[in-house]
Amino acid sequence: MTPNQWMLILFLGLAAYGIRLFGLLGGQAIRNNARLRPVLEDLPGCLVVGLIAASLANQPVTTWIAAAIAVLVAIWSNNVVVTMMIGFMAILGLRYLGF
Amino acid sequence: MKHGFISILPLAAGAALYGFAFGVLAAQVGFPWWGVALMSAFVHAGSSQIVAVEQFAAGEFVAGAVIAGAALNLRYLGIIASLADVLKDIPFRLRLIAIHITGDENWALTMAKRVNDPNIGAWFLIGSGITMISVWVVSTTAGALIGKAIPNLEEFGLGFAFTAAFIAMARAMFVGRRNVVACLMTFGVTVILTRFGVSGAYAILGGSLIGLAISTAARARAGDIQ
Repeated sequence: MTPNQWMLILFLGLAAYGIRLFGLLGGQAIRNNARLRPVLEDLPGCLVVGLIAASLANQPVTTWIAAAIAVLVAIWSNNVVVTMMIGFMAILGLRYLGF
Repeated sequence: MKHGFISILPLAAGAALYGFAFGVLAAQVGFPWWGVALMSAFVHAGSSQIVAVEQFAAGEFVAGAVIAGAALNLRYLGIIASLADVLKDIPFRLRLIAIHITGDENWALTMAKRVNDPNIGAWFLIGSGITMISVWVVSTTAGALIGKAIPNLEEFGLGFAFTAAFIAMARAMFVGRRNVVACLMTFGVTVILTRFGVSGAYAILGGSLIGLAISTAARARAGDIQ
């Protein structure tokens, strides 16, 4: 490997772990503060919804229709694997049908 | 730990295909297979690795590639902070390992399962994390070694399989009417920010902070917090 490739791996690794460590220490500080503790309960749901939104934002209508199907399946099944499989089949089917 | 190790396998299978594709990309821009393995084990941040290697291949300086990759990883500030309760009963040195092997998939699965089963905790996170980082290292290395044997995965909608999985996890975390508005606002703000060209990590953090502010206000109105 070239020196630049070594440096990329080293500094990207340090940056990625530094962010995680900062999150760990921040989370502990929030946990020790009674007024801020509810933040830790609400944060995961908000982040997951944010992840979904970011992955859909620039997608075509087909993907949004498949997402709507996945939402219905999730409400019905409350099961990750079932929703993942039916969602995947939905988008494959929609693309096969020419949407 | 065994429960986590097994429960994450369907998601790990999907991540393996992405890992393979990243390995192909990294090999094409000159990384040896062992360099790809080293990066996957040391960095363990899928999307950040992809962006950094793409920037590096496009002629960006190391600093620019690192900043681009790290920016995409900023959402882990919130993700890891939210694990404070999950990790509270294990020694600090184990926490330092747990945060490295935590990825989007095993974090979200842990939090979703924890809603209905309080026994799901640090060991589930660690077990599922070991599966995820192992699969990530092996699949990226295989991609670098084997090359272009697979077609464009996105054409088959693989990316959406993860979105569908996250939708199911959001459903499992849904606790009632109180967080409907917060979820809708998080979703709306993140979509708008992304559509206006804000990078994924900042859009997710921005949307989540708005949602968090709304849910905190709702708790205050309900008298949950002083």
